[in-house]
Amino acid sequence: MTSQPPSTPNPAPEVAEAASSKIEPTQENVRPAPARRPRPQRPNYRHIHRFPLPLTVHPLPPLFPHNPLSVISVVLSYLTYLISPPHQELYSAYFDSNTSSVHITDEKTIRALWEMGFFGKGSLSRSEPSWLEREKKRRGQFGGKTSEDVTRERRTERRELKLERARMEKLAIEQRLQAEAAAKENGTASPDVDADSTSNGTASTTEKFSLRKAREAKMLESQQSGEQTQMADSGNASPGRKTVRFSPVVQEKQFISDSTVLQLPESLIDGHKADEESLLKNEEHLQLSNEEALFLAYGLGALQVYDSDQKNTIPTSSLLTLFRQHSYFPPRSPAANLDPDDPFLVSYVVYHHYRSLGWIVRSGVKFGVDYILYNRGPVFSHAEFALVVIPSYDLPYWSETEERRAHAEEKQARSWWWLHCVNRVQAQVRKSLVICYVEVPPPDDAQALGNDIGALLGRYKVRDVTIKRWVPNRSRD
Amino acid sequence: MADTDEAAAHLPASQDSAPQIETDLSDETQDFRFLNNLAFPSDSSQTSLPRRGEKDFEPNPTLYQADILDASRQAMHNALSHPRLHHPKHRVIAFYAPDGPAPPTNVTEEKDEKETTTNEDDEQNPKKATNADAGTGIGVPADSCVYVPNPKGQYFKSMGRADRWNRVWLLPEEALYLIERGSLDIRWPVSVTGPTAEEGEKDLGIPMSLQAAYACFTGRGGLSVERFSVYTGLRRLGYTVIRAPGWDDESDEVQDEESAPQQGLGIFGRFLHWLHSWNSSTGVTTTGPVVGLGIHRSYNDIYRKLAVIPYHDPVTPQFPRRKTTAPFRVVFHVYKPSTAFRKSAPPTPDFRIAVVNSRTQTTMPTLSQLGTLLESTPLDPPRGEKMDRMLYMRLRHGYRNVILAVVDQGVVSFLRVGDAAFGKEKIYAEKPPGPKKGGNRPRPKK
Repeated sequence: MTSQPPSTPNPAPEVAEAASSKIEPTQENVRPAPARRPRPQRPNYRHIHRFPLPLTVHPLPPLFPHNPLSVISVVLSYLTYLISPPHQELYSAYFDSNTSSVHITDEKTIRALWEMGFFGKGSLSRSEPSWLEREKKRRGQFGGKTSEDVTRERRTERRELKLERARMEKLAIEQRLQAEAAAKENGTASPDVDADSTSNGTASTTEKFSLRKAREAKMLESQQSGEQTQMADSGNASPGRKTVRFSPVVQEKQFISDSTVLQLPESLIDGHKADEESLLKNEEHLQLSNEEALFLAYGLGALQVYDSDQKNTIPTSSLLTLFRQHSYFPPRSPAANLDPDDPFLVSYVVYHHYRSLGWIVRSGVKFGVDYILYNRGPVFSHAEFALVVIPSYDLPYWSETEERRAHAEEKQARSWWWLHCVNRVQAQVRKSLVICYVEVPPPDDAQALGNDIGALLGRYKVRDVTIKRWVPNRSRD
Repeated sequence: MADTDEAAAHLPASQDSAPQIETDLSDETQDFRFLNNLAFPSDSSQTSLPRRGEKDFEPNPTLYQADILDASRQAMHNALSHPRLHHPKHRVIAFYAPDGPAPPTNVTEEKDEKETTTNEDDEQNPKKATNADAGTGIGVPADSCVYVPNPKGQYFKSMGRADRWNRVWLLPEEALYLIERGSLDIRWPVSVTGPTAEEGEKDLGIPMSLQAAYACFTGRGGLSVERFSVYTGLRRLGYTVIRAPGWDDESDEVQDEESAPQQGLGIFGRFLHWLHSWNSSTGVTTTGPVVGLGIHRSYNDIYRKLAVIPYHDPVTPQFPRRKTTAPFRVVFHVYKPSTAFRKSAPPTPDFRIAVVNSRTQTTMPTLSQLGTLLESTPLDPPRGEKMDRMLYMRLRHGYRNVILAVVDQGVVSFLRVGDAAFGKEKIYAEKPPGPKKGGNRPRPKK
């Protein structure tokens, strides 16, 4: 308002509004950009993923005991819900028995399940279904930046820095060699002196180039490049300095990797742009893990699963049986008995438990574990915990006969080598290893329970312990 | 988003994951030139440890690198070839007693006179009369087999147990540790070797070799090679290590459980359980949806309804208490070097360690083995100002904890096991972090 020109006295309020709103963006523009390379704006994840589950909630208006009006508003809201109950979205998916997995092809459902609770995985993407975006971009059409792109960029940058570091190291070595050759010719001042001088604990002269240093050096170099070219022109005063370059192979590789990203689309655009745009159709579907599907259907009631020919919905109790049969390969026939420790049930118990605590549970196969736990979701932060599920057979039933004992032994045995292996991998990716023991109940009751899924799940028990390497060297104080 | 995690591995440690760094100095190849820095033979005034240099990853043709390598090698040879001297003033002589603790032979007559003072002695040492002590009658553990008539030096502050003749009795692992590091000169008893001294000389017996010490002491009184590896490794690092009550197979660690807070939580737990059963009795869990079909008022309600899987609560005591089985039992209590330690009244240990031989126990513990082991340790809930703030830290710390030392043919790897109880932390109730305050840019007020 203060920046308003004084030449327009007494403007109407609307005009003032308009003027101020006009001024604001210009102020934004005027503000100097602090970053040298502007980071692309991240999408507002906080808004996109504001619902933790694909269910809508209708909170009651706050009730203030001393304010009678608030009581009225509460009653009113009750009434409105009574008269016109809010519509709860019911999403649909279908079970593909050939791949033993649940698929979703509807665009809207895919977005909803991903955004509200991070369910499923794009069949052609790393996790979030982003194939269409990437494909559009590849064909030169508009496309946002996907997480795959971000990763690729980061990797390119890191590779460049590493090459830079290698170059600097090589440079240092060549310089050293030349100095040594010169010293030999002169026959004086052997570099032994140098080596001895470093024996005061820190070998400072052999200091390695860290990535950070390489980055700094690169920046410095770009600043001084003008000077350096002049110096190089002036003569061969410093012949060793500029001889070291990327090896031709590396340079070529870099060129290729750049060209695939940038040049391919341009060649395509000329000819087929018009056709492509109309033809481009989302080929990707969302794939839910069986645990996710059951949780959405049984736990939340937000999903209905159709059978393979997409005609009939599968009721929840049959869905559980179906998934349990399909947790073996080849799937068990419907006639066969189901075990209380079949892989699906054990892993569903764990999935449901951590989901019910508010964790975002996703597959941990890339880290060699069963699940990884995100707080709020993968777009916000890295997963902190990695879960390994181990069935446990501690109830007396399992040690009654020799056969059962052998079965239990076989199912729960994990070697120390395996444990250390998993543990070291998790430490490398900065996750905490959690071992989740699931107590398996005896089977006979399971039949008696019939179709009561809740009672069935209630007979399992979860106990989790964290495992971490203890380093005595570092725990002294 | 798996690949973003991969990236995290290369980033500098964030504040939260700082204690996660798992590099072990002993894993690195060393630049031994730092050894030149150690002032031999006996300059103890220099207390700062030497730093190691950086390492080269591949050979290059420079003389410089070759010189460094030579210098480093030379430094190591110097360090190794340096003669280690034992000053006669610091020499401690001990005697091996193959039959266990016994009163000295030449003072049996005095024993009757000293009878009266015995009670006073016992009062002076208010140590717990454990089972092991009871058998000997002279107030030292029955497994002791080496006595030091004239103890001196810092080691006896945290080792051994004195009898009333002022001799310090050492347990086999203590004696072996001391002889291994050259701090103790153990003599064979005259009864074994026969008289060796000349006429008129005091008979001290024949010195015991290190090999003989290993042969005599390992396997004695429950000391396996695995237990000794753990003991000696931690001792060398400066920890104080003592036997835990779980050392012998019969006795079990007795823990003092505070009953008052647990009672309250127990009631609370029961109430929750009742809520649980009440909730499930409504029947929605039969075929779902668990959250019900009505209007949901808040996500927290939804999460509460979803909680149908029972979980283990480490706070509620388990009855009946199960007995731990070897090897999953606490055999060592470990104290940090900074913890004030008194032999006569050991404080609460900083760490409890169970030793596992990975060649005989080839699989990791089952739930019952691990559960009983954890339940034999006292409750150590994640409380404190920092813990209350940091959810991940609470979960990592757990309600009980124990350290497994897995020994594979002499190589010891330690694993800390914490009873996490994720079920007790409802993260849906945690507030999401507020909008980040923009660094130096004032936020628009709109």
